[in-house]
Amino acid sequence: MREVFTLAVSAVLLAGFYAAMAYGLGLIYGVLRIVNLAHGGIIMAAAYLTWQLFERFGVDPYIAIPVALVVFFALGAGIYLGLVRFLPRGPAGAVQSLLLLFGVWLIIRNVAYLLFTGNEQAIHTSYATRSVTVFGSSFSVTRILVFAIAVVALLLLHLLLTRTYLGKAIRAVAQNPDSCTLAGIDVERVRIFTFGLGTALAGLAGVLASTLFAFNPSFGAAELLKSFVIIVLGGLGSIVGIALGACVLAFAEVFSIYVVPPYLTSAVGFVLLVVVLVLRPGGLFGQRVLR
Amino acid sequence: MDWPKWTGVPLAEVSLLMPSRLAKILALSTILVTAGCAPSQGNDDDGDSSAIPSKIVIGSTLPLTGSESKTGGRFKQGYDLAIEQENADGGVDLGGKKVPVELNLLDDTTDQAKAVNLAQRLITQDKVNFFLGTYSTALVEAQSTVAEQNKIPYVNGGGAATSIYAKGFQWVFGTLAPVENLANTEMEWIDQQQAAGKLPKPARVALIWENTSHGKDFRKGIQDFTRAHGTNYQVVTDESFALDGKDFSAILSKVRAAKPDLFMVDAHLPDFITMQRQYLSSNMCTKVLTYGARGSEADARTALGQDGVSYVLSAVWWNKQLGNTGLNKAFVDSFKAKYGTDPEWYQAQGYEAARALLTSIAKAGSVDKSKVRDQLAGLDIESILPGGRLSFPAANGGQADYPFVVQQNLPDGTSPIVYPADVATGQGVAPNPNCKG
Repeated sequence: MREVFTLAVSAVLLAGFYAAMAYGLGLIYGVLRIVNLAHGGIIMAAAYLTWQLFERFGVDPYIAIPVALVVFFALGAGIYLGLVRFLPRGPAGAVQSLLLLFGVWLIIRNVAYLLFTGNEQAIHTSYATRSVTVFGSSFSVTRILVFAIAVVALLLLHLLLTRTYLGKAIRAVAQNPDSCTLAGIDVERVRIFTFGLGTALAGLAGVLASTLFAFNPSFGAAELLKSFVIIVLGGLGSIVGIALGACVLAFAEVFSIYVVPPYLTSAVGFVLLVVVLVLRPGGLFGQRVLR
Repeated sequence: MDWPKWTGVPLAEVSLLMPSRLAKILALSTILVTAGCAPSQGNDDDGDSSAIPSKIVIGSTLPLTGSESKTGGRFKQGYDLAIEQENADGGVDLGGKKVPVELNLLDDTTDQAKAVNLAQRLITQDKVNFFLGTYSTALVEAQSTVAEQNKIPYVNGGGAATSIYAKGFQWVFGTLAPVENLANTEMEWIDQQQAAGKLPKPARVALIWENTSHGKDFRKGIQDFTRAHGTNYQVVTDESFALDGKDFSAILSKVRAAKPDLFMVDAHLPDFITMQRQYLSSNMCTKVLTYGARGSEADARTALGQDGVSYVLSAVWWNKQLGNTGLNKAFVDSFKAKYGTDPEWYQAQGYEAARALLTSIAKAGSVDKSKVRDQLAGLDIESILPGGRLSFPAANGGQADYPFVVQQNLPDGTSPIVYPADVATGQGVAPNPNCKG
């Protein structure tokens, strides 16, 4: 029983990181219909930024979060203004956007190789291996902090989208940009903000990842794939859907150890993805798609 | 619940298929890049293999960029030093004539396909005389096939998996001892501690290994040892994991439930860091803890702190602490003189791979590939590697066979060699003093 409790809490904590990892990808896809293949590269770049701030200036990774948010919001807005806005709108631009953002990812990755080599890096804080004991089970303080930040991010995003004019504008642009133009919403400005925010959220995921894992310039590829699985499971429709998708993936991975060998647990998410795409293309928590 | 939704986009819109025109462009680009447009740098004296050439050209690829760039650079240092030393007195002695050696080294960018294509180009187009291999098992495994097909002596210091040498290849030689030996050498030290009454008998073993050829060899080494020692050891957990894991709580939960005395893991650095952090934060403590080759490197201390790596046992193919006498001292001194830093096992392996090839060429007295291959097959030379001798036994398919050096991290920041006894620089500690009770 204690083992099940330990695993359940571990799964919830893992889900927090997974959700934080997927918010940005989901937001950008939801509003701009663009799969941001540079997402993994942004996560990696944010991990390096955090590492640099920690190593050079002694800035704690969690204190570095506001810095990362600002830097990567600006970077995202810059990528949109400099590259993405020139793409054709709608399905016609889908392939171009994939290639373009894949190219951006390659550039980010190779710049990281040039600057930092392929060596593994990791951040060791004084609390990196500390734990909290609950009902006889110990849990990492770092993972609890990551989970807490992911929940705060979820709440703030929820409030932004539901309680602010900007959030309502984002949702409106996602549903019908043409009508938004007629209603006087500056669609382009909303898109710039959304791409910047999505990139900033990827940056947040990178900061959090840097406190949990070692990383090198190739870091981010697995995170991108898992983020994609999560937003599909969540239904590509909402931030809360993404959080639930992250829970499903984390629980499936952690508890699948009772069913499949541990080396196959990372494949469980992709099996889930295929099953969901076949049986419920709108995602577990999204809209039903009529056939 | 009223969740804010921004879309109901059908997934069919997300097409990952590549248009055929683009595929053609990419394919053409790939062919252009891999076929290579660089001028040939090969040996022009290729016509008669029994003739003495004006120079000996050794082809090689290493991951000088990409994820293994740092390690590739280290191997290059080893290759360069060995060749520089050979050329210092005129080169390799071929029938009384000194022939200089030239290294034709290309960057395989840590890419398996590129390692294969570049090797093909160096052998068939640039017509290099011999080949020094690349780094990492996956790349060596792919590249060695090219060498075998083209019947060119191929010596590498970067591929440890026994699967490379189990194919019956005649032209492939490796200086890295099997990872099974890593496990075996660690178990020998553990066995000594058990015999001294410091560890329980039977000792309960949790065996956790990454699902790669490296991990499988490690597992086999532990299994073979524990079977050979009857009731002294009991494997209570035997699990593998995929690379780059994000959460090891499930595996660690199984391990904790099995109450092991020995936590024997084989992992690469990123997984070692993630798993060790979770191991520590879940307050686990085992009498002996190892992550295979991981633990003694500076990167591990940086990532986990001194407390996080204290008493971790590790085993490597070579360590600079071996360099107090003889050939090892000469290697360490000359390396420091050239590069200004201490060598690690990567440079030592690169150096020994190049030295083995150069020695075999000199013994053959010719650049005839078959003669050099025969010399490599029968080679038995003094070496800087543990055990002091280097050979490529046919029984191992051309893979060198020697014990590892076992180190243990101590709280004072040192990592002395604790086994084998003849090269030990310090005393190992067992059981782990951090464990209460």
